[in-house]
Amino acid sequence: MFWWYREIMKKILSNTFASYFLAVVLAFIASGVFIAAMGYNPLKAYQTILFTSFRTVNGFTQTLLKFIPLTLLAFSFTVPYKTGKFNIGGEGQFLMGAIGATAVGILGANLPTYILLPLVLLGGIVMGGLWGLIPGWLLYQFKISEILTTVLLNFVSFALVNYIATAVWGDPTAGHPTTLPIGDGGHLPMLVGNPPLHSGIIILLLVAVGIYYFTDRSTLGYDIVATGANPRAASVYGINTRVMFVLGLLIAGALAGLGGAIEVAGIQHHLIEGMHSNFKILGIIIGLISGGSSLAVPFVAFFISILEVGASAMQRTLMIPIEVVYIVEALVLLFVLLSDVVRRR
Amino acid sequence: MDISQGFITFLRSLLLTMVPFVLAAQGTMLAGRTGVFIVAQEGIMLTSASVGFIVSYKTGSLFYGMLAALLVGGIYGVLIAYMTTTLKMNQFVIGLSFYFVGVGLSTLIPKLVIGVTLTPPLIPTLQDVPIPALRQIPIIGDIFFNHNILVYLSILISMLLYYFLYKTSWGLEMRSVGENPKAADSLGINVSLQRYIAVIIGCMLIGLAGVYLPMVYTGTFTEQMTRGRGWLSSALAFFGGWRPLPIFLGSLFFAGIEVLSYRVQVQSVGIPYQFLLMLPYVATILVMMLTFKRSTTPAFLGKNYDREKRTL
Repeated sequence: MFWWYREIMKKILSNTFASYFLAVVLAFIASGVFIAAMGYNPLKAYQTILFTSFRTVNGFTQTLLKFIPLTLLAFSFTVPYKTGKFNIGGEGQFLMGAIGATAVGILGANLPTYILLPLVLLGGIVMGGLWGLIPGWLLYQFKISEILTTVLLNFVSFALVNYIATAVWGDPTAGHPTTLPIGDGGHLPMLVGNPPLHSGIIILLLVAVGIYYFTDRSTLGYDIVATGANPRAASVYGINTRVMFVLGLLIAGALAGLGGAIEVAGIQHHLIEGMHSNFKILGIIIGLISGGSSLAVPFVAFFISILEVGASAMQRTLMIPIEVVYIVEALVLLFVLLSDVVRRR
Repeated sequence: MDISQGFITFLRSLLLTMVPFVLAAQGTMLAGRTGVFIVAQEGIMLTSASVGFIVSYKTGSLFYGMLAALLVGGIYGVLIAYMTTTLKMNQFVIGLSFYFVGVGLSTLIPKLVIGVTLTPPLIPTLQDVPIPALRQIPIIGDIFFNHNILVYLSILISMLLYYFLYKTSWGLEMRSVGENPKAADSLGINVSLQRYIAVIIGCMLIGLAGVYLPMVYTGTFTEQMTRGRGWLSSALAFFGGWRPLPIFLGSLFFAGIEVLSYRVQVQSVGIPYQFLLMLPYVATILVMMLTFKRSTTPAFLGKNYDREKRTL
């Protein structure tokens, strides 16, 4: 009787994109019920969440500025994920990158842009990379689960940021743990002056293409994917899987570190305690929704950036708690994961 | 205050501080022994802390708060068990998803129920229940027999879990599910059922660990108040080789580091306090470097069992 329904479902489920789209729609419906149950108008909430980014230039710029670090943090999850490892330490690596960038920016404050800016970014990449290398080494040498070490190092980095922003280069006039500003030469040039949009977006696009090429088109990337798909088969084939694990975590750290450096060089110009708090573990969520696909990461990250910018507007204008967006994001993730299960059957 | 008095206070605070570690790590261990590696502890603890606090605040009863925390933990347990055991979804992916859900819910729920207030709403903290005769023993009585109910409970649960896992046939069955589910299955043990039970009870213990924080330490819920204790509990399960008694001893060690880092902060010995804040996490990593290789883990930890599949 419902043959047409079955036919449609079959069509949708046979198409990956369509089934994910259906999952997102279902997640929005389910969280809409939830929002209504809390006593708010879900349609109004969604209107603000989805369209704030496109209503004004400012909103769109805000979205792009969120999109840059979120994409890098998501890549820092998906690259090790391809080797079968879980990097929960994106936040910490991001902060270490910010520390590295700030240190270079303060120590070389008088250098001209064409020297200082690359050094600032490099400082972030190196520090973040080192912070990713530690769990990599612990995994290689001692077989300690990277899930635990990466997340524990986050807490170390929180304390380190506080130390540097108060005791080392603290700015006593700031009122909140903040360092002195980095030299002007370390600032990323602006693409648009008002509303301010820095050139980090160009770096990001280059990195995104590079990561896609690396994981999906290069030999080394193939080794990484093979390691994740079946470590035993990969090592029989001659891939040193343990080195691949370390490499994945190293790249992850470097990417998150670059994110921290761009945040310092492009927006904050200081190291500020809590500067990661807008991104938290969203990188992981984006990575999981993307299912580890390097191609999907930027698109999912952009979608989540829209939700995040929209949600703060929703809190401001409609007085709906911003945490509502967690429900939406969590359900999108769960429904996307579930759609994989359904499709497998 | 002489040295012996200081020592007594130190030991007392060890027992007080170990509770969330004991409960969360034993919960993780129980589920892990059947092969389900929970990584959502942090989220479960936060939601339970938040909901347990609110229920206590609204009803005026800490007991109801604890029940609510157990219930929250149980719900997470059912969901995690269903998605990993029945739907065979990747345990780590599911764990991380629920970690995210838990963190989000923990801040959303107070906003909805209590709203934003100028002064934080407070509940009375859990009272000490001295054990009648034993309390009178000098020194020992001070250290061991004058604590809140959850301290006794966490000791009791550790002993019960030891007895259950190693001295009963059901416990043996449960352990076999984590070591070799195929063999267990062929012996007629219901692998899924064992996993469901272990995960649900495990998550309830983790929930109880979460509500300990507002009920004993702060009297209120604050964002991210677990400060990594959930993750540390996972580390603790490895550290204790997924066995109840070593985990209990490990909790004392973890509690010792936490107490020490607070003590030194208060006495300001010239080390910047930020480095003392790092101490528990760095110490945990160092301890894992020494013990991880030798630590025994259930052979099927983190892996789902599919009886239709030929290869394990």
